[in-house]
Amino acid sequence: MTVAAGTGYVLLALGPSLSLFIAVISQKPFLVLTLLSSTLLWLMSLIALSEIWRAFLSFKTGLLCPYALVILTSVAFQEALRLFLWRLYKRMEQILDAFADRVSKPHLFITDRMQIALAGGMGHGVAHAVFFYVSLLTPAFGPATYYVEKCPQMPFFLVSAIVALAFVTIHTFSMVIAFSGYSEGNRMDQYFAPAVHFTAGMLTLTNLASRGCVIGIPLLYGIAIITLGYCGKMVWKRLTENRGTLH
Amino acid sequence: MDHQNPRPRTILETLGEEIVRIITPVSICMLLVVILVSILRGDSSSEGSSITTMATMAYTESSSDSMWDKLKGALLNSLVFVAVVTVVTFLLVLLFYLRCINFLKYYMGFSTFLVLGFMGGEISLLLIQVFSVPVDCITFAIVLFNFTVVGVLAVFLSKMAIFITQSYLVVIGMLVAYWFTLLPEWTTWVLLVAMALYDLAAVLLPGGPLRLLVELAMSRDEDIPALVYEARPIISNDAAPGGGVIQRRVWREGRGDLDENRGLRSNTRSDIASDSTPGTDLSVGIGESRRTIVDAEEGRVFRTDSELAAPLIQHRINVRMNSSEDGDNLALEGIGLASSGAIKLGLGDFIFYSVLVGRAAMYDFMTVYACYLAIIAGLGITLVLLAVYRKALPALPVSIMLGVLFYLLTRLLLEVFVVQCSMNLLMF
Repeated sequence: MTVAAGTGYVLLALGPSLSLFIAVISQKPFLVLTLLSSTLLWLMSLIALSEIWRAFLSFKTGLLCPYALVILTSVAFQEALRLFLWRLYKRMEQILDAFADRVSKPHLFITDRMQIALAGGMGHGVAHAVFFYVSLLTPAFGPATYYVEKCPQMPFFLVSAIVALAFVTIHTFSMVIAFSGYSEGNRMDQYFAPAVHFTAGMLTLTNLASRGCVIGIPLLYGIAIITLGYCGKMVWKRLTENRGTLH
Repeated sequence: MDHQNPRPRTILETLGEEIVRIITPVSICMLLVVILVSILRGDSSSEGSSITTMATMAYTESSSDSMWDKLKGALLNSLVFVAVVTVVTFLLVLLFYLRCINFLKYYMGFSTFLVLGFMGGEISLLLIQVFSVPVDCITFAIVLFNFTVVGVLAVFLSKMAIFITQSYLVVIGMLVAYWFTLLPEWTTWVLLVAMALYDLAAVLLPGGPLRLLVELAMSRDEDIPALVYEARPIISNDAAPGGGVIQRRVWREGRGDLDENRGLRSNTRSDIASDSTPGTDLSVGIGESRRTIVDAEEGRVFRTDSELAAPLIQHRINVRMNSSEDGDNLALEGIGLASSGAIKLGLGDFIFYSVLVGRAAMYDFMTVYACYLAIIAGLGITLVLLAVYRKALPALPVSIMLGVLFYLLTRLLLEVFVVQCSMNLLMF
C-alpha cells in the first residue's frame, strides 16, 4: 500500500490514542513513564504467550478448537497479569504517598489515580495495536495491497486497523474500570474487565468463518462502546460522590 | 471542580520529569537512525559490501560462511575493536594526566568537524540521490559548511543556546550510529555486547581507564572535556528554601584521537550540589575508508556560585534527615524532584543504543519496537541505580543486554505467533 494509505491506517488504529496522549499523558511526565512501562509489560506477556504456544504454530489449520484454546489461555494469562499489575500499583502508590509526605505535598488525588490507570491501560492498548497491527504494516509498503479471503470486502490492513481501534479502546478503559473496582472492592467492576476481554477475544474467532467479519466486527464495536459508557458512568459516579474530598 | 481555591498541585505534576527529559532525545536519535536506515538501506540489503574499518579488520563477513565461522569472525573483530578502544582510552587518561586539556579540546572540535562535514555530507548526498532533490553543488557546499561550523561552535562554546547544542549532539550521535550500522550483522551484535562488557569493566573495575579518569578529574576538581548530552535542568518552583537555584554543570572534556577508530562510552551521572562525580565519555568514531577518526565528546561546565549552592545543600540535608531508612524513598529523591542538577548522558550511549535499534530495523519493525522498549527500560533501571549508588555508572550494559535479549526473543518467538494470529484476524 502507499505511504498515504499506510499513514491513514496507522492513524485509524492509533489516532484516538495519539490525541489522548497529547492531551492528557504528555502533560505529566510520570504518566509517560507509566505508559512506557505498561507497554513493556504487555510486550513481555505477549512474548511469554508466544513461547507457550510455540508448538501450536506448526499446525496451520483453519479449525476452531486450537485457536479458541489460544485465545482462552492468552486472555486468562493477561488478566492474571492485570491482577499482578494492580499489586505493583498499590505498592507504588504507597511509595508515592510517602514521598509526597516528605516533600509536604498532598497525597494523590482520585483523578491522579485514575490518570495513572488510564496511562497503564493505554500502554496495554498501544502494545496491542503496535505488535498486532502496526508491525505488519511496514513490510507491506509498495505498489500492491493484501486481501484476506475470509473477509474480502476491504483490504486486510483496513479491517485489521478497525479491529485494532476497538481493542485499543477496550484495553485502555477497562484498565480504569478494573483499578477502580479493585480499589473500591466493587465486584461488578472487578469482573467487568476480564469478561469484556474474553468476549472480545472470542468475537474475533468469528473472523475465521468466511464473511464472519461482517458480524464479528460490529459486535466488537458494541463491546467497545459498552466499555466506554460503563467507564464514563463509573468515573462520573466516583467523582460526584467524592466531590467534597479529593482523595 | 472548585475554582475558588485552586487545587494544590500533587507530585504527579512534576515527578519523573528528569527522566523524560533524557528519554526524549534518546528516542529522537533512535527514530532518526531508524528512518535513515529504512530509507537508505531498504532497497539494497548488501551485507557483504561493507566498509573497511578497524572493526572489520580481522574478518570480513560474507553471507556464504557458516554460522560458526561468522561467530568466530565477529568475535575476532570485536576483540580487535575493544583492544583499540582500551588503548586509546588509556592514552586519553595519560593526556589528561599530563594536563594537555587544550589539545584534547581542539581535537574534539576537529573531530566534530569531521563527523558533521564528511559523514553528514555523505549521508546528505545519499539522501539527495534517493529523493532526487534539485540542488546544485555550490549551494550544497555552502549550506554544509555553515552547518558544520555552527555545529563545531555549538559543542565548543559554552554560551550557545542549549537547544542548538542538544540538537547538534543528537545529530552527531545519529551520524556516527548510522555508520556503525554499515558493519556486517554478526559483527555488529557481538561488538555491541563486547562494548557493553568493556563499559562495565572500564567504569567499575579499580584499574579501569574510565574510573581512573573520573578519579583524576575529581582529585583535581577539574572537568573532563567530553561530548555529553545534558538535559535541561529542572527549576523547582516550590519549596526550596534558597529559592529556585539553577545549577548547571557540564563537562568540558576533550579527547585526542589517533588515526584509528575509537570506542565511545559514556556514563550517566546526575549532578549533585557540590559533590558531583564526573562522568566520562569516550568517543569513538568509525573510520570511513580513509580511516579518519571521529572524536565525539564534549561537555560544558558552568561553575556554580558557591553562595547559591549553599541553600541547595541545606535543602538537601534537610530532606535527607527527614527521610526514613526506606531505600525506595531515597531512590525517588535522587531521580525526580529534589535534585536540581541535570542528568547527563554521554554521546556514546546515544550512539550504541541507536546502533542496536538501527540493526533491529534492518530485520523488521517489530524488533524495532521491542528493542526500543527494552532500551528505555534499561535506561530507566540505570537511572534508578544511579540514584541509589550516586557514583558514575556505565549506561551501556543493562540497556544493551536487554535490547539484545528482546531482539532475539522477538525475532525467534513473538513474530511467528503474532503474525499467524493477526493474519487470521484473531486478536486478543
